[in-house]
Amino acid sequence: MEKSGVDWGSVAIFFALMLLGWTNIYAAVFDETATGGFSFSTRYGSQLMWIGICVLAAVVIMKVDEIYYHIVAYPFYVFMLVVLLATLVIGTEVNGARSWLRFGGLSVQPAEFAKFATALALARCMSSYSFSMAGLRSRVYAIAIILTPMAVILLQNDAGSAMVFASFLMVLYREGFNGWWYVALGMVVFLFVFSFIWTPTLLLAAIIIICAVMEGVMNGGWIRIVRYIAGVALGSLAICMVWLAVSPATVDYYYSLLAASVLSLVAVGVYAWRNKLRNVLVCVGMFLGSLAFTGMIDTVFSHLQLHQQKRILDLLGVESDLQYWGYNVNQSKIAIGSGGMFGKGYLQGTQTKYDFVPEQSTDFIFCTVGEEWGFFGSVVVLGLFCWLILRLIKMGERQHEAFGRVYCYGVAGIFLFHVMVNVGMTIGLMPVIGIPLPLFSYGGSSLFAFTLLFFVAVKLDSRRRENGEL
Amino acid sequence: MGRRGKIISSFVVAVFAILLVRLFWIQVIDDSYKRAAQNNVLRREVQYPPRGEVYDRNGELLVRSIPSYDLMAIPRDVGPFDTAALARIAGVTTEKLRAELEKASRYSRRRPSLIVKQISLEAKLLFDEGDYPGFYTVYRTMRSYPRKMAGNLLGYIGEVDAATVARDDYYQSGDYRGMSGIERTYEEVLRGEKGLTVSVVDVHGIKKGPYMEGMADVAPIPGTAITTALDGRLQALGEELMGDKVGSIIAIEPSTGEILVMVSSPGYDPDELVGRDRGNNYMELLRNPRHPLFNRGVMSRYPPGSTFKLVNGLIALQEGVVSAYTRYPCHGGYTVGRGVKCHDHRSPVNIRQAVQMSCNSYFCHAFRNILDNPKYGGVKNAFDAWNEYVYSFGFGHSLDSDLAGELEGFVPTRGTYDRIYRGSWNSLTLVSLSIGQGELGCTPLQMANLAATIANRGYYYTPHIVKHIDGRDSIDTRFYEKHYTKVERRYFDMVVDGMYDAVHKDGGTGRMAYVKGLDICGKTGTAQNPHGKDHATFLCFAPKNDPKIAVSVYVEHGGFGGSIAAPIASLIVEEYLTDTISRQWLVDYVKNMKIDYPYYDRQQK
Repeated sequence: MEKSGVDWGSVAIFFALMLLGWTNIYAAVFDETATGGFSFSTRYGSQLMWIGICVLAAVVIMKVDEIYYHIVAYPFYVFMLVVLLATLVIGTEVNGARSWLRFGGLSVQPAEFAKFATALALARCMSSYSFSMAGLRSRVYAIAIILTPMAVILLQNDAGSAMVFASFLMVLYREGFNGWWYVALGMVVFLFVFSFIWTPTLLLAAIIIICAVMEGVMNGGWIRIVRYIAGVALGSLAICMVWLAVSPATVDYYYSLLAASVLSLVAVGVYAWRNKLRNVLVCVGMFLGSLAFTGMIDTVFSHLQLHQQKRILDLLGVESDLQYWGYNVNQSKIAIGSGGMFGKGYLQGTQTKYDFVPEQSTDFIFCTVGEEWGFFGSVVVLGLFCWLILRLIKMGERQHEAFGRVYCYGVAGIFLFHVMVNVGMTIGLMPVIGIPLPLFSYGGSSLFAFTLLFFVAVKLDSRRRENGEL
Repeated sequence: MGRRGKIISSFVVAVFAILLVRLFWIQVIDDSYKRAAQNNVLRREVQYPPRGEVYDRNGELLVRSIPSYDLMAIPRDVGPFDTAALARIAGVTTEKLRAELEKASRYSRRRPSLIVKQISLEAKLLFDEGDYPGFYTVYRTMRSYPRKMAGNLLGYIGEVDAATVARDDYYQSGDYRGMSGIERTYEEVLRGEKGLTVSVVDVHGIKKGPYMEGMADVAPIPGTAITTALDGRLQALGEELMGDKVGSIIAIEPSTGEILVMVSSPGYDPDELVGRDRGNNYMELLRNPRHPLFNRGVMSRYPPGSTFKLVNGLIALQEGVVSAYTRYPCHGGYTVGRGVKCHDHRSPVNIRQAVQMSCNSYFCHAFRNILDNPKYGGVKNAFDAWNEYVYSFGFGHSLDSDLAGELEGFVPTRGTYDRIYRGSWNSLTLVSLSIGQGELGCTPLQMANLAATIANRGYYYTPHIVKHIDGRDSIDTRFYEKHYTKVERRYFDMVVDGMYDAVHKDGGTGRMAYVKGLDICGKTGTAQNPHGKDHATFLCFAPKNDPKIAVSVYVEHGGFGGSIAAPIASLIVEEYLTDTISRQWLVDYVKNMKIDYPYYDRQQK
């Protein structure tokens, strides 16, 4: 038995990212005309102080016996819920979200710590003896643990932080959630995105093909599938011809296709019912569900807030207003895109130096990386993140206990979600959702919360052998 | 690792792969972001050059550029200041100043806004002495006209319109350019080259310093000065003589085509179209029923009247349909058809006497001889030939001078009459053309050019106002080219003799133009028109041998040409040739002569 099971490689990656993050905050707020030396009142000074605090915290975490994380998981979770609720009442409003608590000069964003608490509580819940993915009650518990803080944070009007809780879906999948739910979720996202971009006819055709292909994947028999699709196409063509003969002015391809597919489904449904082909019925259900969902999107969309609508349309490229909603993303893309292969050099970024990018030391910190270090820097930073996340997954996989595995997956999921959404947002792949880039974005709460998340995982991992021997 | 762990790991790798592919695209493949970044941080500011000066032929300054400053402010940086003092300096009311500042604040707190346009150098110096945080001045140039004359000729400058900005890369919104006169024709010479400073700015437009240590900056090149052919002294006399009479005086140096005088009356003080009152003054000039902004010298279309008899006489001689000895009777006019009346003079007359006494009858005969010349086999062909002659004198088309807005006048063609008379017309139908009436229309410049052509005995140089452009050896080559008429020199001598007699002999119509020793040759004209009293016109040149100046005077509704136009022309000639005015009484006579313009003044509402 080795004396220490600490995964030093991961720790090294973690601190490398933290250091890179700090240098980029320095660049983002760097002002060559400013006089005076280093000061803790500047953002990079303050961030450096937080890094110090985080190192201390890491040491403390490593010293605490891992059994305490099991013990405090639920109490801490409940405590964080209380704090979140308290924030709702006595919190400070920033950018329209009541999500900050202020103690004198110190501002804390409880939502950052709620992620940590939820990861612990979820691990505790899913590692208990009575927990079983097959049981409805267990699943409801697990989902309730995720949704409760999420709901409170949504009430704070901090949609970005709330969405991070979706990252626990990854944990649920690992622990045995039915994969079809994820396919269905993917379908929902697909329909949502393309209902804005494609014409209804094209979307309907896509739905028919996807459902048919899905049926093919489950049951085989591809020739049947091709025949079915061809049949629907010919059917809708026939309806079109008849329609054209009766009333040429009102001919509508969408309704022709819809009529053909619905009529065919009646036949398919009756056939499947008689032969007890459950998979076929699932596909028919999915088709009808997709239709219903597409119809719902317009209704839901019209109930979103204006700025959310604009951001979605802007992201999808349906509408683009560079001076208004699209401004952030456009400036961010300009900064990153102007970096080229090797960047403009450290502290040489013109777009970030002259404040063209909004929020450039917090949510848009990746612009500094992209502009000053170029594609090369992007590869290094994203490579390190990817490596770290894969190591966290590996950590989870090698745990002997469900607690450690669930927790490590939780941490990996949170990291992945943050990096994916944050970097995706700066390069126009994701809507503008204000969540920080882990270890890079300026802000003590986020840095501290990620340190807690990560080092608890490292601590649990370092003790796996002993626990395994128990 | 289990199956699900592998799926999750693959998903993680896929997410990062997508991010990196996208990053590779915008960072390495797509160049548009690099250009956008440049546009973001570089602020290009135009440095305006002073506009070129304009001089008269004697080196007197006609137009100069004076420094002018725009008062700007960045509302965010505006600190407490003495509002009353600044308003006084800028020459506006405190309320106006406050209102402008408020407007600027509403536009942007961080961006510079124009507060007061065109403040003077003196005001700028006073401003520099005071303490007005957040305010600064920007250099622009303004025009000033020390001689306060020839407004229509010199022209004015104004802000470019959107169409020009779209068409011409040189201009940006807010730039000035010549809108009329010399300012417009010689815009490209006078304007100079704009300079450029390139600075690095932050997102608020706050300058952070020069780009590449100023290596990218371009210094402005001041506009080039132009020396015009105009004689300022003569121009001033012309404007004084015209007073508020409506009409035009044009004088040309026959041996070069240089325009010595160009009066369009009524004119205006060009200084009125400069500075902050420009808008109001411009509207007032625009509303003036006598149209002072209309350069009559090149834009009006007048019936030439009897001065055109010279052209018909020359054509008839060249065509051989009259000779020096051909004589026609005149007893109160030409009596064929509806007839053309004439004044009382001796009869019969030859070409020389016909010119001297401006005999209508003679020119009706001569003109019909031209059109009924059997060698053309028909009046229409003969009329075509007549057209060609008239065109060769510079009528019916723009002379291609360097005067802005020059129009072509009008010479009727066979098509014109085919339309009017449905193809059925003959030489008698057109007989009023013989005495310069009917459908003919000429610009005063074309009439002055006729005077110069006769002075040269058969050719002219394209009239032009430019004499010299600084730093160039020559002006445009088209001004060095002789344009010959289709009439030979020897015929001109006969007509010139008649013009000499018109001024010098009893019975001549231009006796009022006589100045001892100057050998002025002239021809009067009295043009009927549908708007009221006859127009008075006179064209002349002097001295008879070796002409130095050719003048055309046109006074709308001035009555008999000999009584008002001839004195004005002779005074111009006398002043030019002798530098003195011997007949002060004539000056007073001309100046005191008041002409009513019910036609114009009726239009005033």
